[in-house]
Amino acid sequence: MSLIIDGLSKRFDRIQALDQLSIEVPAGQIFGLLGANGAGKTTVMRIALGVLRADAGTITWGGTDHRRLQRSTWGYLPEERGLYPKMTVLDELVFFARLHGASTGQAIRDANGWLTRLRVPEFASRRCGELSKGNQQKVQFLASVIHDPDILLLDEPFTGLDPVNVVLIRQAILELRERGKTIVLSTHQMETVEALCETIAIIDLGRTVINGPLRDVKRSTGRQSVILALDGPADLSWLGDLPGVSILRPGVDRVELDLEPGTDPDGVLAAVVARGARVRHFEVADPTLEQVFIELVGHGAADDETLRPARTDPAEEPAA
Amino acid sequence: MTPDRTARHDPTFPNTRIVARREFVERVRSRPYAASTVLLATLAVFVAFLPIIIRLADRDTTTTIAVVADDAALAGRASSVMRSVLSTSGGTPDSWVFEVETDREAVRTAVGEGRLDGALFATRDASGRLDFTFITGQGLGADRTQLVAIGTFAVAFLEWTERVQPSGAVPFLPPTLDVLAGAGPTSGGTPLGAGEIASRQLLGTVLIVVLFLTMVIYGMWVAAGVAAEKETRVMELLISAASPRQLVLGKVLGIGLAGLLQYVTILLPAVLALALQRPIGEALGLGSGITPPLWGLTPAFAVAYGTYFVLGFTLYALIYAAAGSLVSRVEDLQVIALPMSLIGIAGYLQAVIALSGGLSTFLRVSSFVPFWSPFVMFSRLTVGRVEPWELVLSIGLLVLTIALAAALAIRVYAAGVLLYGQRPGLGKILRAVLSPAA
Repeated sequence: MSLIIDGLSKRFDRIQALDQLSIEVPAGQIFGLLGANGAGKTTVMRIALGVLRADAGTITWGGTDHRRLQRSTWGYLPEERGLYPKMTVLDELVFFARLHGASTGQAIRDANGWLTRLRVPEFASRRCGELSKGNQQKVQFLASVIHDPDILLLDEPFTGLDPVNVVLIRQAILELRERGKTIVLSTHQMETVEALCETIAIIDLGRTVINGPLRDVKRSTGRQSVILALDGPADLSWLGDLPGVSILRPGVDRVELDLEPGTDPDGVLAAVVARGARVRHFEVADPTLEQVFIELVGHGAADDETLRPARTDPAEEPAA
Repeated sequence: MTPDRTARHDPTFPNTRIVARREFVERVRSRPYAASTVLLATLAVFVAFLPIIIRLADRDTTTTIAVVADDAALAGRASSVMRSVLSTSGGTPDSWVFEVETDREAVRTAVGEGRLDGALFATRDASGRLDFTFITGQGLGADRTQLVAIGTFAVAFLEWTERVQPSGAVPFLPPTLDVLAGAGPTSGGTPLGAGEIASRQLLGTVLIVVLFLTMVIYGMWVAAGVAAEKETRVMELLISAASPRQLVLGKVLGIGLAGLLQYVTILLPAVLALALQRPIGEALGLGSGITPPLWGLTPAFAVAYGTYFVLGFTLYALIYAAAGSLVSRVEDLQVIALPMSLIGIAGYLQAVIALSGGLSTFLRVSSFVPFWSPFVMFSRLTVGRVEPWELVLSIGLLVLTIALAAALAIRVYAAGVLLYGQRPGLGKILRAVLSPAA
């Protein structure tokens, strides 16, 4: 069973928001949907929820077309946060749970349970408008999970949260995964994805750039990273002159290197030793997700692709 | 259009009910709701007491009535008796002027043109009984008409005591009095009594003012509610939890019920004030000339009013909901809602004109135009000028328009709620309406 997005296209006037996008999300996993602003992440989610209609393509869950699925199958945390400011937190959570088919009694029990789990049981009787932004965000997260959906679409769930609340929400997401929920995490925060996701897709300009297990994606470019630490300060800039090697992060006694596909890390170590340096730490690692993203997409995830005009010339399409 | 076989089973209820309940509870709990209820109730009671207030201020008004009789003696007697009786029962000695005239047609014309406030025609039949016909002018209130009725009784009684009683053969016969509107509304060709006209006009004015105010106010509540949901971005959560149909209908239903509750709260004291007007008037020493003010308030009339309120509100609220979905901030709402408010004002003004008795072809047509019929047709009903088929046609057209408006509003809403920071042009709205629903 999996969530399959197949050949999804959507155009808004001159903007081709999605262009035959195809992604497979395995059930019961935390899935990272990566892309710059305007890459099409929110549009995919809105189509899945039935808020927008695709021009072409399908979305299925366990073989069932998404438009036949009950609305309560989905939980959605939109990137744009908002609640009814004058309602109490409990009333608000019960309202959204009831819209998804929960009984009032069940909704009250679940809401109180979740508030306790997020260490804010006293919020129940407080008006949403009185809470801090971060706490409102927690309440909104609860509004998206209160009806116990099978698939959770979280659009930038950690933006604006303080470190303590980030940990709390991360724990909640992991707990939901343990309960068998499928979680799609849309973000351009690479570290979050590396920490939480098992499978990811990178999308750009509405197209799938790559989709697969995180480890496979990171190795897909053939690049490797080398982290090298010496026993004392040394000038290591010469390492950037080695064939196939470039310096990612320079330091006084430590350097992080990017090795092009086919470059042997042992050769780097041998060159350093040959110079008489005492090596304290040598580590060969997969490239960071950010490196892979830049390699595959050609720009950083923080770059804004919003409102980029639709391309009409197929020859301009980047390789997926 | 073929049915979408991929569509999920997503019945309108219970989500519409859940949305409606939230709207109702939040609205009724809000301070502006309580404040506007008190304000409008006070206004309605004030309007209901207007006749008494006007009468208090009107004590010095002079009413000029022409008296025309078969013989000069009767005319002179009627004139002097009326003057003496009325000046003691309903005003100062100078408040009534009775002029003896002979030319009935000339007098009718003078009443029609407003040069006279009324004309009293007296005739004596074979049995000696006096028959009076009172032609009322436009400026003559129902209270003064009633005083004239009292005066005619006095004239007839004195006539009987002086001429008939000594023989002892003829018992006293109360005079007949026909009140005809010389410059006012008729019902199916039959003139309404001046008292009833005044009563209905008063009631109609109160109800139409409240109808207009509440329809526009409640309509704006709907629009502002939708716009606020967009502004606070709670809309993003809402649209994933319920369909546009459920959200639009729930909002209209919830706010409509809150409006209805306010409506009843506003009108009950006003109706009570109207019902108690005669005893209050008497207690204030204004005589017994206060018209029974609820003459026009029959159950059928109340049902018609309720029907036009519910249908009118529904139509306006649906359009306001669509309008609210097209703006990103509540402040921008006034601009986009203005055309709707102007349409409402146009209907209201026509209703007021119709209420005053004039009925042009334009007004007749307006009473079938869905955005105006709740006002204009109700106004026509108030002064009793509507054929049953006209009522059926008017309500039928209104219901049909509501169905169309609902379909359009839901489509505009579905597209509009996703538009942020964009000024929606007509083209964009049209594309939203014509594009297939999600």
